[in-house]
Amino acid sequence: MREPDSLEAFLRMVGEELDLTVGDGDADRDLADLPGWDSMNLLRLVTLLEADSGRRLPVRAVLEARSLAEIHSVLERQA
Amino acid sequence: MTRIDDPAGAYLAAVGTALPGEPVDNATLGRLLGVSEEWIDIFVGTRARYFAWDLETGEVRRTLVDLCAEAGARALESAGLEAADIEFVVLSTATPDTLLPTTATQVADRLGLDHLPVYQLQAGCSGAVQALDLGRSLLAGGAGAGLVLGGDVTARHLDVRRDPARMPTEELVNYVLFGDGAGAAVLTAEPLGERVAVRGVLNSFAGLGRPAGQTVDWYGVSDRHSERPMLAEDYKAIEESVPAMAVEIFWELLDRVGWSTADVDHLLPPQLSERMTARIVEHMAIPSVHEVSCVSDTGNTGNALPFLQLERLLPQLADGQRAIGVTVESSKWIKTGFALEKV
Repeated sequence: MREPDSLEAFLRMVGEELDLTVGDGDADRDLADLPGWDSMNLLRLVTLLEADSGRRLPVRAVLEARSLAEIHSVLERQA
Repeated sequence: MTRIDDPAGAYLAAVGTALPGEPVDNATLGRLLGVSEEWIDIFVGTRARYFAWDLETGEVRRTLVDLCAEAGARALESAGLEAADIEFVVLSTATPDTLLPTTATQVADRLGLDHLPVYQLQAGCSGAVQALDLGRSLLAGGAGAGLVLGGDVTARHLDVRRDPARMPTEELVNYVLFGDGAGAAVLTAEPLGERVAVRGVLNSFAGLGRPAGQTVDWYGVSDRHSERPMLAEDYKAIEESVPAMAVEIFWELLDRVGWSTADVDHLLPPQLSERMTARIVEHMAIPSVHEVSCVSDTGNTGNALPFLQLERLLPQLADGQRAIGVTVESSKWIKTGFALEKV
């Protein structure tokens, strides 16, 4: 799987790979309000992205993100 | 009925433990599992754990019998007792090497014990306390000394070849929490060795009508190709319930033995993970009590945990001091704990 570059592709990947119901409207939703989102899904997401990119992800920086769009921004900055 | 304090004497004479091989740190665990080391640091907090099997090849290096026999031998030696002095064995585990013969009887054989009752309890985090509870009853029934043990091994339930990103979160969480280990204690009817009186034991099933918080499954010949997860932990239910249950256990124990919080010098809290234990201790908010925990350095070893804590407690337990141990088994929800006093 290629590393998702657009926000839309990232949201699609989160929905498909983590079995979460995620639509375009969820990009800016507070993660605390995202159904099914928790620290274990964060681990799966980080694992997926690290496997795809072959790079370590800064988990603390990802943790500061309050929404999927903000996580995507962190990833973009790492790219 | 809940079993609790009885007037007959039961004393911890000695404790022995066994952890296999070298500690596995988060960098190594993360690399072998293919998960983020930093995530483990942040969310689990545990620094190291031990495995009786090779994480790279899956090869089993030491069995549960090996670990329990080592712990038992250490406890016996430390108590200064011989095999002939031991009148019963109680061993608790969720992960026996074989269903039959029991791990308990294999351990008895290793230790040179013969012609005595040997019980095996199937349990998780409450197992060590259940073994202690049964051991007390056997002492009250006339035995002079006995050996209680607890331990678990993960070789059959963790598979590092799996892709963690595609595991259900309820299964994946187990990979970052657990490790292998065993512990043992010599119980005596009269003060001996460490001379720690067991003043009270709480052992109470509290799961009526509640879904299981932790499932440990197994496959047999007819379903060996099943896709059913071998482990499933409802970690949200555990995060929500265990701190409150720990408080209830603490107060129930205090009430039954007639102590106040000021009488308690040491607290042995539940050892789920470094982070969860810290949250539980904060929630319990027992003033000026010394915490005795091991999970940061041992991982969650299930049935072995209270023995690992007791081993850390004993050198610090001064004459007349008191300790309360609290464990919560989240499989089908069992409240257990014990009250100790050095005499």
